Amino acid sequence: MTDSAVVGQWTAAPGAEEIVTGKARYCPDIQLPGLLCGKLLYSPHARARIRKLDVSKAREMPDVYAVITHADIPGENSYLYAEPDQPLLVVDEVRFQGDAVAAVAAKDERTADAALQAIEVEYEVLPGIFDPLEAMKPGADPIVHGEDNIMMSKMYRSGDVEAAIASADVVIENTYRTQWAEHAFLETEGGVGLVGDDGGITVYSSCQAPHRDRMQIARALGIPESMVRVITPYIGGAFGAKDEAHVQIHAGLLAHAAQRPVHLIRDRRESMLTHVKRHPMIVEYTTAATKEGKLLAVKARVIADAGPYTNSTHEVLNKFGEFIGGPYKVENVEVEKIGVRTNNPITGAFRGFGAPQAAFVYESQMDDLARKLGLDPLEIRLLNGVETGTKMYTGVVVREGTAMKASLEKAAEMIGWEKRDQVEREPKKHLRRGFGMATILKGSGLGRGLADHAGVVLEMHRDGSVVLQSAAADMGQGIITVMAQLAAERLGIDMSSVRVVRADTAKSPDAGGSCASRQAMVSGNAVLEAADTIRDTLLSLAAGKTKIEKDRLDLKAGSLTVDGERHEISVKDLAQRASNWGYPLHAESTYQFEYPTDVPEVTYRYSQEVFQFCTQAAQVLVDCETGQVTVERLIAVHDAGKMINPGGVFGQIEGGVAQGIGYALTEELIVDEGHTQNPSLENYVIPMALDIPQLEMEVLEIPEPIAAPLGAKGIAESPIIPTAPAIRNAIYDAIDKPLYELPMTPERVLPVPDVSD
Amino acid sequence: MSIPEYTAPATLDDALGIKKELGAEARVIAGGTDLILRMRDKVFSPSVLIDLRRLSLDGIVLSDNEMRLGAFASLSQILESAEIERLFPALPAGCREFAGPPIRNRATLGGNIVNASPAADLVPPLIAYDTSIVLTSSDGDRVLSLVEFFVGPGQSVIKPDEILTEIRLPVMPPWSAATFIKLGQRRSMAISQVNLTTRLSIDESGAVSDARIVLGAVAPVPMRAVAAEEFLLGKELSEELLNGAAQKARAEVTPISDVRASHSYRLEMTEVLVRRALLATWDELGRNATDG
Amino acid sequence: MAEMEIKFDVNGKQVRVSAEPNKTLLSVLRENLGLTGTKDGCSSGDCGACVVMLDDRPVNSCMVLAPQAEGSSVVTIEGLASNGELHPVQRAFGETWAFQCGFCTPGILVSCYALLESNDDPTREEILTAVAGNFCRCTGYQGVVKAVEQAAAEIRAANKSGGGS
Repeated sequence: MTDSAVVGQWTAAPGAEEIVTGKARYCPDIQLPGLLCGKLLYSPHARARIRKLDVSKAREMPDVYAVITHADIPGENSYLYAEPDQPLLVVDEVRFQGDAVAAVAAKDERTADAALQAIEVEYEVLPGIFDPLEAMKPGADPIVHGEDNIMMSKMYRSGDVEAAIASADVVIENTYRTQWAEHAFLETEGGVGLVGDDGGITVYSSCQAPHRDRMQIARALGIPESMVRVITPYIGGAFGAKDEAHVQIHAGLLAHAAQRPVHLIRDRRESMLTHVKRHPMIVEYTTAATKEGKLLAVKARVIADAGPYTNSTHEVLNKFGEFIGGPYKVENVEVEKIGVRTNNPITGAFRGFGAPQAAFVYESQMDDLARKLGLDPLEIRLLNGVETGTKMYTGVVVREGTAMKASLEKAAEMIGWEKRDQVEREPKKHLRRGFGMATILKGSGLGRGLADHAGVVLEMHRDGSVVLQSAAADMGQGIITVMAQLAAERLGIDMSSVRVVRADTAKSPDAGGSCASRQAMVSGNAVLEAADTIRDTLLSLAAGKTKIEKDRLDLKAGSLTVDGERHEISVKDLAQRASNWGYPLHAESTYQFEYPTDVPEVTYRYSQEVFQFCTQAAQVLVDCETGQVTVERLIAVHDAGKMINPGGVFGQIEGGVAQGIGYALTEELIVDEGHTQNPSLENYVIPMALDIPQLEMEVLEIPEPIAAPLGAKGIAESPIIPTAPAIRNAIYDAIDKPLYELPMTPERVLPVPDVSD
Repeated sequence: MSIPEYTAPATLDDALGIKKELGAEARVIAGGTDLILRMRDKVFSPSVLIDLRRLSLDGIVLSDNEMRLGAFASLSQILESAEIERLFPALPAGCREFAGPPIRNRATLGGNIVNASPAADLVPPLIAYDTSIVLTSSDGDRVLSLVEFFVGPGQSVIKPDEILTEIRLPVMPPWSAATFIKLGQRRSMAISQVNLTTRLSIDESGAVSDARIVLGAVAPVPMRAVAAEEFLLGKELSEELLNGAAQKARAEVTPISDVRASHSYRLEMTEVLVRRALLATWDELGRNATDG
Repeated sequence: MAEMEIKFDVNGKQVRVSAEPNKTLLSVLRENLGLTGTKDGCSSGDCGACVVMLDDRPVNSCMVLAPQAEGSSVVTIEGLASNGELHPVQRAFGETWAFQCGFCTPGILVSCYALLESNDDPTREEILTAVAGNFCRCTGYQGVVKAVEQAAAEIRAANKSGGGS
């Protein structure tokens, strides 16, 4: 780290005071005169035909201002931006428990509930299909949607897998299963719609992609996008579930129908029943290796239960396949990716986006392989690990790969890997201690071939204060802080002089979605470019005034500097000068992420090239009689490129690891014939304060050479990815039992093989 | 949709009068941490809510070798009592693992009993201490043994005109110890998969003079594993004996499968945890002996 | 009769609201009094986003009916600061990155405030126990522990130097 004044420093978030005083407003906190309460009527059935839908009684009720069904949607009755095959309001067939059938807006919550009760729906309950293995068979009945229950089936091949398997000393084959996981952000989905005097619609949306929301709201209303404005207030967490639209379009529709402002906030039960979940997957995985442990080939067949609608299934399976070989050198890879429609809960983006499932598979298998060959789990990973210059099977060349092995070695050192057998392994007769690790990679950015850009508007006022307008949605991951830091650093002012205006499509250019660990890169770079334009103007003025060459001048800590030395002219002086003399200190910049062109042929579609490498190591204590697993220590070594906002980075790591521990041990939506049995925070078990060990975290700062603003890269997703396999491998070490299914609940840990067998 | 009336009577007689008149249509609200949920889910739709907050029914008084607890003592108040910790430690042990601090500040002992949930955490320790409860109506008090209070999940023998007002724990004989264990999916905010309390009292010769093995969440009601208890009576404590009792306890429970645990896991855990609890109680007895 | 009148004290000020008896304290704070700092995360007492002080104890306000607060004193996140000065734990939260999205923060802050009111030197275990009913999905609890330790140190120092005005 250099002499940065702001970047890399622990600095409070710009919104900190609002948050700690309760002033920060989220969608449910927005108060407007005449605000109505909106609610949706959801199907209680997983599959049914709607025989009758009569809203007349509800419409006639006093204090009910709008009741809408599919027939009342002025534009397109669909959402999802990639493939819009989910209806906003069901037309004839309900395809999962949570499909919305009607929407109401009423004076208050009690009246809205009464209006929902007054809607007459006659369902003809139909048999659904809930096992993806059954649903994908030819002749499966029913067909959930469209022509075929197989939503997608893609095969990717690199090299010659069969030949590699045939020549291998050892071949291991296992089948892995992962579960539906719920994001459980603390602020449920919400939207507040209001109509302007000119008929324009404004929607406050708890979302990850305001411009995309704008497009979908306009499409549903059948009006031009110019008549729609989307604003994000504070957002209480998202983790991917608010990437795709949820209730904000309905909020716009209701506001339009009622011609009054409407807020539509899901309660927790509705939220757990109706929004997207992480894809459960069944993965058949084969690894072929030499007896020294060198990977020769990897073959995977993944079947993902997608629920009835497409959402991001293609993209999630794309990422799964891209990383299923792990951060390892292996050229012969075959991955068959199958997405299957069922009448189970809908699926979509969730932090990691296919990578957590893939990591559970490839890192568990790595330990199985190590065992089979009598090799140390650390050594086999070091043997196969990618390095700078490695060409992945996808064709992508790793530009900066030092962090892969560095993170492994650091994690091993921190957990005491070499000395682990000196630690007491059986502290009591029924307790066994074990150590495990997992190392992963994840890409940042949307992927080669996809437009990946973000715009920003920056303006400095005559007093040196700055307004930054960006549509990058901050749902807690801290992009607003990062942008403020970058602007402050480049313009030589402090953080308190930078005001970031929260995402507003009327004020800020499109920044794309806050997903794929991309915002620090794309919006960060846009900020730097815009700041550089203003900086250049200021320095030109300074050069003119001081008669010193511009390249000796800089801006730092509020002052002009000459050859690094503080000058008496302040940034504020320069800003005032610019304002007096009519030099605009206004810049708008759009940064386009460009993939290098000087590469050999990349064969994997939408592959990413900015990698986050990360290793986590776990020390667990297994109670061999109850099956309970206590994570005693968790080491997380992450590669962040360069930290812009350390507080945010460590927060992301800890939060991600906590989610990973839940994914590993306790979190599971229990679904029976399409009906979720535990749609509550009571029975969907997420680790809380007493369940999470004190994390030992380390961040490696090895600058990212391609895209990164000041060397930083996205770090948002990697923390959740290695946790489950690290814990799984530690359990394997503790009780000699490999597990292939998540979550690793006590009932799955038992029975513990008797040591004396 | 019905909105209940709410009243906070100034005297117990006023409250009892309402109960006499309206019976089950009038529900007593204590901490509300269970009742409010059930009202939201429309399991209960009382026409009147009676709040006894003005009556100070939260006393913790030791008199005549008996600890008398007001039914509206909150779990936090229980935890703040040094006397309860000294005399009936399994009860605060159960309170410590109950939900989290904000719930403990509201939830009451009486509420946990009257809900009659088979998984109620505080009922097994109370039964293990031979607790009796006082059910009061305008006709007077009815005292009964807590273990007899429950008849099924959510069902008890409380009459429509009665209010649970007091909980009485007799001071245990010397050479007694008790252990509370809860098995949950996480360390706070968890509904028990299995919970239990064991209590052993021994005589001067070291033989078991009294035993209680009380289990929750493994039967329609909180229950004593009576055959396992009888098996212990009059015998010298040994690991083998306690293992035998644990096996017997397993044979007495009738757990269901639900989202938290399967029937077979609960059976298995009954034996494991009864054994652990009995061993811990034995250990505690030994410690008490050397402390004495 | 549908609505009833309820009088109580919020953040040091007497208020009088009219509400149906089955309305929760949380709803009354947010809707009748416009104090939207306290959040609704689950409406079932499972997440702690709604924690406020009720007669000096932290409680889930979604699990208290409004009339149950009659004559009581309530302190919400909006009342932690005094005379425009943030409480040490509020300031510390900002400095240690004890939050990210901030939705759980009001509830967690009140739980931490409650702890510090009775214990100016809490151990890590005591801090984690104090927030064992508060759910944070973004950040975990290590920052919270650091923040409370930092605030506790500040409070102890102020008390030692004869603090207060």
